[in-house]
Amino acid sequence: MPRPTRPKSSRATRNKSRVSRGGWGTLPRPLSFPKQSPRMIGRHRRSTIGMLAPATGLIALFVLVPMVLTIGLSFTQWSTQTGFETARFIGLANFADLLGPTSIGRDFRAAFFNTALYTVLSVALIVPLSVLLGLLVHQTFAPGGIVLRTVLFSTYMVPTIAVALVWSKLYSPTEGPINQMLGWVGIPPQTWLSSPNTALVSIVILNVWQQVGYFTVLAVAGLTQIPTTLYEAARVDGASPWLQFWKITLPLLRNTLLFSAVVAVINAVQVFEPVALITQGGPVNSTNVLTYHIRRVGIERAQGGLGSAMAVTLMLSLIVVIVLLFAVLRDRGDER
Amino acid sequence: MIVERPYRRRARGWQEGALTLLIIVIAVIAAFPLAWMVLSSLKTPEESMQVPPVWLPGSPNLDAYMQVADVVSLGRSFLNSAFIALITTTAIVVTSLMAGYAFAKYRFKGRDWLFAALIATMFLPPIVTLIPLYRMTGYLGLNASLLGVVVPNLANAFGIFLMRQYIKGVPDDLIDAARVDGASEITILFKIVAPTVLPAIAALTLFAFVYHWNSYLWPLTVLQGNTDQYPIVISLSRLLSYNRGAMNTGLVMAGATLAVLPPVVLFVFLQRFFVDSIVATGVKG
Repeated sequence: MPRPTRPKSSRATRNKSRVSRGGWGTLPRPLSFPKQSPRMIGRHRRSTIGMLAPATGLIALFVLVPMVLTIGLSFTQWSTQTGFETARFIGLANFADLLGPTSIGRDFRAAFFNTALYTVLSVALIVPLSVLLGLLVHQTFAPGGIVLRTVLFSTYMVPTIAVALVWSKLYSPTEGPINQMLGWVGIPPQTWLSSPNTALVSIVILNVWQQVGYFTVLAVAGLTQIPTTLYEAARVDGASPWLQFWKITLPLLRNTLLFSAVVAVINAVQVFEPVALITQGGPVNSTNVLTYHIRRVGIERAQGGLGSAMAVTLMLSLIVVIVLLFAVLRDRGDER
Repeated sequence: MIVERPYRRRARGWQEGALTLLIIVIAVIAAFPLAWMVLSSLKTPEESMQVPPVWLPGSPNLDAYMQVADVVSLGRSFLNSAFIALITTTAIVVTSLMAGYAFAKYRFKGRDWLFAALIATMFLPPIVTLIPLYRMTGYLGLNASLLGVVVPNLANAFGIFLMRQYIKGVPDDLIDAARVDGASEITILFKIVAPTVLPAIAALTLFAFVYHWNSYLWPLTVLQGNTDQYPIVISLSRLLSYNRGAMNTGLVMAGATLAVLPPVVLFVFLQRFFVDSIVATGVKG
């Protein structure tokens, strides 16, 4: 049999473009099985189930079931050390605690606020930076661009635990090179991870350093989709590069920016390793973020019901944020 | 990949020079922490405690690397990490190929709905399911063991999505011809479809391997302090707490360097597939 090559049929191309416009919801019509006998259809039903069963079953069992359980458990008082049958229904009491005046509520709201701040700072730094770096990689002659892309992206492959370890040393007030370098240009030493005012920002910087390469690759992917004829036409009309960026590049990068922002938000709320390893939520709870707090409450203190209520609040907040991002950034098609 | 670069043809000599300089500066900043990690691992304990810090080790030595093995069972941790990463990766590639093929080439009731539901799980932070999942693996008798780390991670939505994107491009004629020849669907998938989407398989292999080599939250939770089963990233964090007394930064940096090597080496050799697959999922998604 001859070795098949990557196909480029017109039908496939048409479908691709349809997906890109439709987003997640609308999918192209299937291509296969034009005419079949009933026997063939029976055979295909069996193979459909066979092909889908492993992945769908595993995801249903280990993602969807626990998600539903989290929602159910959030209305109960339940110790994580005991079976699900010991969960006692207490209505909205957990959520009342989260909003209430006790230390449960105060700690949770502080963790929620820290996570929100961390997320906003991370996204606000990563997305614009990734576009700038993406432009640089995209415009530069091939070898330089590829080298830069490789270096930037390789940090995304490094275990976050190792990143946290290394940065804890870089940030070290006396033995660390960052304060030393600041000293060379006359900036006084900073407190970094050791002060409640700077600890969270220090973790944001570490996160931006690790993740920006991935988003740069996304941005480059978006930039390559913009037809060069648009830029040629703009140049003929005498548009400056600055104007080209605002009128062509940025609007046509809209879907990429939306995707980047959504992924950056979801990555940001997962921050755990630097907090677990270096700060343990401190100093003075300034880096106590939700993933760390929920695990501490739900696993270490075994308050499964309360932890689940926190997880549900996080999930609902995420849904709101993502819906808002889509509402603000989504390409409405008519602007093309 | 041949890409038209819109501004390039206008660039003059000095512009190219300035761009090159800018690239070098950014690359140095980006690489600095990792370079610092490797350099620190080669320093003596005295050097790594000096104020102000010295950048280059006076007499580079591998003592710290030798010492890591005394503090944590390094070989065992590496084997644990390799086990976790290899089993999950293999399973994810197989399950994703199968489901991706079904979503790309079969027509069945509720397909779009099911696909959307699976894709939605891609955006669910693991912490949301962590607490009940921990109890569930407890019921299955998997807690405190490597199997508990692996079993919930044998399939994922990203893999299905990636495979579907690529398999959609495989011509139906190729598949129909094999059907006429009487090939079973499994044979068609693994003998005909899979070879045509090798770049996607390579990309998914690397993504899954790196993700599970690096993962920390779930192993830390499910292993319940059973240090024999710790992957390298958790052993690394134990190195830090050991180091609090000993004040030997070199030790921690040596451990970090070792843990970083497998994913980064894989990436450097196979980065093209990563990049192409991000284009396939990010832009077209």
